[in-house]
Amino acid sequence: MTSLTFRPRVPVFDANVRVGDLSAQPAPCRDRAALLAEMDRYGVERAVIYHALTEEVSPVEGNLLLEPWLDANARLVPQWSALPTAASLAQLQALHDQRRISSVRLHDTRVAGLPFRPWAYDHLLAWLNAQRIPVWIPLPGADADELVMTLQDHPDLVSVLVGAHYTHHLQVRPLLARLPNTHLELSRYEPIGEIEALADEFGAERLVYGSWYSQYAMGPMLFYLHHTDLSQEELALVCAGNLERILGPTLTEAEGRVAP
Amino acid sequence: MIDGIQVIDFHGHVGRWDRLGMLDEPARMLHAMDAGGVDRACVFNIFHPDGTTGNDLTARFVAQHPARFIGFAYVSPLMPERMLPELARAIDSLRFAAIKLYPPYTPWPLNETPWEPIYRFANARGLAVILHTGSEPQSLPRLVGEIAPRYPRANFVMGHSGNTPAERDQAIAAAQANPNVYLETCSTFRTPGVIEQLVNEAGAERVLYGSDQPLMDPRSQLGKIITAQITDAAKCQILGDNARRLLRLTG
Repeated sequence: MTSLTFRPRVPVFDANVRVGDLSAQPAPCRDRAALLAEMDRYGVERAVIYHALTEEVSPVEGNLLLEPWLDANARLVPQWSALPTAASLAQLQALHDQRRISSVRLHDTRVAGLPFRPWAYDHLLAWLNAQRIPVWIPLPGADADELVMTLQDHPDLVSVLVGAHYTHHLQVRPLLARLPNTHLELSRYEPIGEIEALADEFGAERLVYGSWYSQYAMGPMLFYLHHTDLSQEELALVCAGNLERILGPTLTEAEGRVAP
Repeated sequence: MIDGIQVIDFHGHVGRWDRLGMLDEPARMLHAMDAGGVDRACVFNIFHPDGTTGNDLTARFVAQHPARFIGFAYVSPLMPERMLPELARAIDSLRFAAIKLYPPYTPWPLNETPWEPIYRFANARGLAVILHTGSEPQSLPRLVGEIAPRYPRANFVMGHSGNTPAERDQAIAAAQANPNVYLETCSTFRTPGVIEQLVNEAGAERVLYGSDQPLMDPRSQLGKIITAQITDAAKCQILGDNARRLLRLTG
C-alpha cells in the first residue's frame, strides 16, 4: 500500500555514499553531522562512504580526507580507494595492519589510463583476495570484457558492481552469471521490473541497496525496493543484510575505528 | 491510487528497445504501476517519423487497457506533409489526448519553423504538447520559453525538466515566465533536492509526475516525488491533479 509519506520498514545500510567535494561540484553535506541528518531524513542507519577526491584526483590523498568523516559511533563505514601503484598498496597495507579496511573501491580504470586487465591489476586483486577484502567497481567506468577476464582469475574475491544504468542492461545478466561472487549495487538500475526479475534469477542475496549520494538522492530507490515483490526477508537482505555479509568479519573491526 | 489521489504518469513509451531493457509488455507495466499505486500512464511511440505507424501501435496498446493508458500523438517534421493530417487523425479518430515531440530525432531546434504547424494545431485545439528537453541543441528548455508566449492556448510540458542542472534552470525560468509551461519530472539524474527545487521555484501547480516507463520503472521515479521534502498538497498536485487538469480528464 503506497502512501504520500514513506519510511523504510527494514534496517538500511547504504553501500554507496560519496562525501567531499568534486572540483566542479561542491557536496551538499559539508560535514559528518549534515550527512547523518540526511541519512536520518530517509531512515538510513549506516553507510559505506568514500571520498570524492579519490574518484577524481588521488586515491591516496582522498583517503586521508576521509578521516574527519569518521567517528566512533560506526554509522559511517570507511571505504578506501585504490590504484595498483606502490604508494596506494602501501597505504592499504598500513590501513590493513591497523585493521581498518572492510572494503576497497576502484575507480574509472580507463580514465586512470590503465586497463582493468590481469597484467595491471592481478597484484592488487590477489592481495585483496588473500586478506578477504571485497572490492567495489563502478560499472560506468569499466569495460565488461575486462571485468570478466580479470575477475574470473580471482574466483573467491567478492566484488560489488556499482552504478549500473539501463545502458548496461545487456551486460548485467552475463556478468552476474559468469562472476558468482559478484553483487549488483542498485543506485541507478531502473529498467522496469528488473529488480524482481534479477532476484528471481540470481537470488536476492546478489543485490545491494546503495544510493550513490550525493550524485543521487537516497530516497527514491529505497521507496522502489519497498514496493516490489521482494519478501520481507529478501528486502532486509537487499537493504542491509547482504552488505553486512559482504563486509563480513572485517566490518566489526573496521567500523568506528578512527586513525590512531 | 495513493491516499485518495488518482496518480497519472505523464511520460511513458510504447515500443521495444531491447538494448536498454525497454519492453512495452502491458502486464509488466501494469504490475509496476499497481505495486506503486499508479493509476494511469500516458504513452506514445516516437520511433516512426511518419507518425502513423507509431500512433497505430499506441492505439492498439491503449485499447488493451483503455482505463489504464492514455495515448498521445507523435509526429515529426522530417515528414512535414504528414504532420497535420496525422495529428487530426490521432486526436479526432484515435482519441489521443495530447501531442509528444522528440527534437533530437530531427536537425531542428524546437523553436524553428518546421515545428510551427504542430504548435498552431495544438494552440487551435487547446492541447498539451510534451517535448523532450535536455542539453541537445534541438531540445534546450530556453527555446520552449521562446515559443510558449506565441501559442497561449497550448500548454507546453518539458519532459525531464531539462534533465541536467544548467538546463533545469532554463526550464524553471521558462515556467516562471510563461503560465502555459509545465515541468515533468522523469530523469535518470535523480539529483538530491531536484523536486524541491522545481516546486519552490516554479510552483507545485506546474510540476507533473512522469516516469519514462518502460525505459525506467515507474516506482523509482515515483519515489522521487514521495520522498521529496514538500507538502502533501504539493505531492497531490504533482501526482495527479495537474495532469487531470491539463488533459481535461473527468473519469
